[in-house]
Amino acid sequence: MKKLCRRSCLGLWVLALGLAFGLAVHAQAPAPAAPAPAAAAAPAPATPVDAELKDAAGKAPSQADLQKGDPSGAITGTISDVPAADSKAGVTLPDVANQVGQNKIAVNFVWTLVCGFLVMFMQAGFAMVESGLTRVKNANHTYMMNFFVYTCGLFAYWIIGFAIQMGGAAGNSNLGGLQPLASEHAISIFGKMWGLWGQSGMFLVGHTYDVGVMVIFLFEMVFMDTALTIVTGACAERWKFLAFTVSSIIMGALTYPLYGNWAWGGGWLSQLGTNVGLGKGYCDFAGSGVVHAVGGITALAVCMLIGPRIGKYNRDGSANAILGHDVSACLIGCFILAFGWFGFNPGSTLGASANGNLRIGTIAVDTMLAGCTGTIGAILYMWALKGKPDYSMSGNGLLAGLVAITAPSGFVSPVSSCIIGLVAGVLVCLSCSFFENVLKVDDPVGAISVHGANGLWGVLSVGLFADGTSNYGGSWNGVTGSVTGLFYGDASQLVAQLVGISTLIGVVFTISMVINLALEFFIGHRVSAETELAGLDIPEMGQLGYPEFVFQPEPAVLMGQA
Amino acid sequence: MAASKAQGSYLAVFWTAITVLCAGIAYFAEGFGKLVLVFGLAGVIISLVGFLKIKPLEGKTAGVTGIAAMKILGIAVALGGWFVTIAGLHLTTSTGGRLIFALVGIAVSLVGVLGVLPVAFGKSVAGKAQSSSFMAAKTTMEHSR
Repeated sequence: MKKLCRRSCLGLWVLALGLAFGLAVHAQAPAPAAPAPAAAAAPAPATPVDAELKDAAGKAPSQADLQKGDPSGAITGTISDVPAADSKAGVTLPDVANQVGQNKIAVNFVWTLVCGFLVMFMQAGFAMVESGLTRVKNANHTYMMNFFVYTCGLFAYWIIGFAIQMGGAAGNSNLGGLQPLASEHAISIFGKMWGLWGQSGMFLVGHTYDVGVMVIFLFEMVFMDTALTIVTGACAERWKFLAFTVSSIIMGALTYPLYGNWAWGGGWLSQLGTNVGLGKGYCDFAGSGVVHAVGGITALAVCMLIGPRIGKYNRDGSANAILGHDVSACLIGCFILAFGWFGFNPGSTLGASANGNLRIGTIAVDTMLAGCTGTIGAILYMWALKGKPDYSMSGNGLLAGLVAITAPSGFVSPVSSCIIGLVAGVLVCLSCSFFENVLKVDDPVGAISVHGANGLWGVLSVGLFADGTSNYGGSWNGVTGSVTGLFYGDASQLVAQLVGISTLIGVVFTISMVINLALEFFIGHRVSAETELAGLDIPEMGQLGYPEFVFQPEPAVLMGQA
Repeated sequence: MAASKAQGSYLAVFWTAITVLCAGIAYFAEGFGKLVLVFGLAGVIISLVGFLKIKPLEGKTAGVTGIAAMKILGIAVALGGWFVTIAGLHLTTSTGGRLIFALVGIAVSLVGVLGVLPVAFGKSVAGKAQSSSFMAAKTTMEHSR
């Protein structure tokens, strides 16, 4: 009977997928006919420019020249590589202009995609950091959560998350306009329209089967997955794999995309500038708030629900240190994350050509410096106050600096980025201690402090340190001018950032808490105490992470016997 | 209970159901979209009921149950802080006034998140609760031997 039930379930799964795909194909809008090339119209009279182009074509290297090879690169890439719409007329000015436009978009596509690939690789870094900081008996389970969260998030984002977040985000000229994403659900309050969620792009079908949309989907998807994987670290060593899976799917489908829309998809936070005159609206360049704070705050909600690991706290409430099993995995993971951050921050220009995007160099340097000073802050704090330069807090210091600079990286100077990173490095140590010793929230990897506390600090620092020198096409969020913080004369930008922080703590936390309370009712987040003591690898995953290791017995205190 | 075939089966139903549900939302404007939506919803409900059915098999956990009323209060206070911030945007047009409203709103939310909820989830009894759960688990393990 059970077998029959299982088979039926699998059959249902295949059938439903087929149905969904079938619907998608059925509703596929016919591809619009390609616009007729400009040169196909009646030939225009020859102009001096046409004459110059013909002259240049005449001087282009011949086939015979090219066959000799081009060691200096001087004759590769000339007018002969520009396609002519009318071969008889040769290359015309419209042909050149079209090629220039294509080149701009091509550069931006390649930039955004390559940066997206870098961000995707951060998943490996997260897996190593989180697994390295947990015990060997849970290694397989922790690695598997980090592996599977990519799939859960990607699928959920494809079926609905992307539409909610970016369905109304049309207008980005860097990626060709993204005009298929022009449907934002908005409501009118006090005579102003406020965007709430996007409505186009589910399953990437119909008009959203578009080259530009695919690029932005890939880039935004890997950001979303970063947020999801933050929660797995905070809840490691006691989170039921089933509950983790369902929670991650819902976060990728709903929680993350909602806030993402409000900040990046044309939603109400980005409209604070145009609607109520708060600076340039809520500004979060690469996602300290959208990605890291959302992940960190969700992690806090789930951590509160799930409770501390057995043995973490004694009867008197004092905390025990539960050491991770692999220093090398943790620190190599941190380096992989730092490398991936060069996709995260500079990639958030969504292009390298036009509209002030040459600032990518500054953004990359800001990113490096904040990571550097974050590490310095954490190491010096731990060394001076605790006597040793602790490896886990050093790694967390690097990540904290990177998290904090993520929102302001596009708007601040290198000196400001150093200050932001240094504060983050100290803040992460204080925050870890606060959550562990005061709130009694057990976060094995420090994810709440690294991503939550420092994500909020990053959002705030935009309102303080943005220096007004950035110029991404002369405006931001539809407000003319550069993003300028309190220290450079615009206090209203700080208010916009505070509204964002209030939304993160008040709304995102509430949504996460309510969803996960519901999951607690239906599924239960936590594994049994027996499973937890034995380690989650065998009961939950069926295999040890390191089957040939001989486990040392854990101290009695970590077995709850103190 | 740990991971099991029943969990995998109900997860497959859930995954299928939300896919169908989203397809229904995507094509809601067309007639068959509504039908698909209903099928998806039904699937989600079936999977949730299934999850609920197998939940007791997990056995005794070391989590703390906490106080339900305080949980609701904590969530309400957290959300209430956001309303204070948003109200400030419309009650005054001065930057200073809005700044104060925003700070007050954040402070209220933090009271809910960091003040009320940790107590609601039983931070003060974390050690004791875990110890009793441990004892229950230990007893189970000894019996199974």
